[in-house]
Amino acid sequence: MRLLRWEAYCAILGFILTQVFVLVPGPYPMALFTFIAQPLFAIAAIGYLAKVIADLRRHRSL
Amino acid sequence: MNIDFRQIVMALGTLMCILGIIFCIRTARTRFDRADSNKEVNLGITRIPALTLARLLAFVSLIVFPAGAVFLANYHTFEGVHEVRGCASCHVMLPMVNDLQDPKSGTLAARHYKNRWIAEDQCYTCHSDYGLAGNLEAKMTGFRHLARYTTHTYHEPIQARVRFDNKNCLNCHAGTPKFEAVQSHHTAHERLVSNEMICLNCHGQAHPTSVQRTPGSADYARLMERMK
Repeated sequence: MRLLRWEAYCAILGFILTQVFVLVPGPYPMALFTFIAQPLFAIAAIGYLAKVIADLRRHRSL
Repeated sequence: MNIDFRQIVMALGTLMCILGIIFCIRTARTRFDRADSNKEVNLGITRIPALTLARLLAFVSLIVFPAGAVFLANYHTFEGVHEVRGCASCHVMLPMVNDLQDPKSGTLAARHYKNRWIAEDQCYTCHSDYGLAGNLEAKMTGFRHLARYTTHTYHEPIQARVRFDNKNCLNCHAGTPKFEAVQSHHTAHERLVSNEMICLNCHGQAHPTSVQRTPGSADYARLMERMK
């Protein structure tokens, strides 16, 4: 595993949108959280886990 | 000092998002292949290798904090949809909410509101099978409504696609002496339970009619006034 750059940027954007929704609840922030922030978190988590698994395989831990 | 759950969720959500952003920035800058595995970091109570700390931070910032933020924000959503104010935040719902709170209105919803038959969360109490708190179909309906509202792909007056479930009424009314005293409730019991017959057939309009909610109608401007 070398970098987790794009995963971290996805998560940062997700956190920002989530923060907006938590502070100013309304239909538009809710839509941003539901349809953008949550998938961004999922993409970040999948990217991270894929790199961790690849790393473990490379080191023959799996 | 009166602090409710929503304020706690707000504070925790904010804390989690800010810490998540800080940790993510740190993770984005880390080159895991170049981190010195022999270098140690002093955490006050213990010393751990810098590479281990970087990996731990990456796990926390990409898995733990996002999971926590999603949980808290969804909790925020579930709590928010219970309140009348939450329903009124979409302007297409204003006619229903304004009518509900109009003491002069004679609709079923307004009568429940002004007589305090339902003390709080009036929308949610009668529509408890709707949206995020309902079953899977209701959740999907809630998501569809959210998507259509925010993308402006709807037409006024809005029409309910789903059939109102009599269980929402019967949850409170069934079994009460007043309900049981009416013979027609016993006669129509099977049809009421199976939703073949709806309560509104006898008990009148629940909300303003679609004609009243049509832009340009005589009642439209009054019904669309923003709540104070």
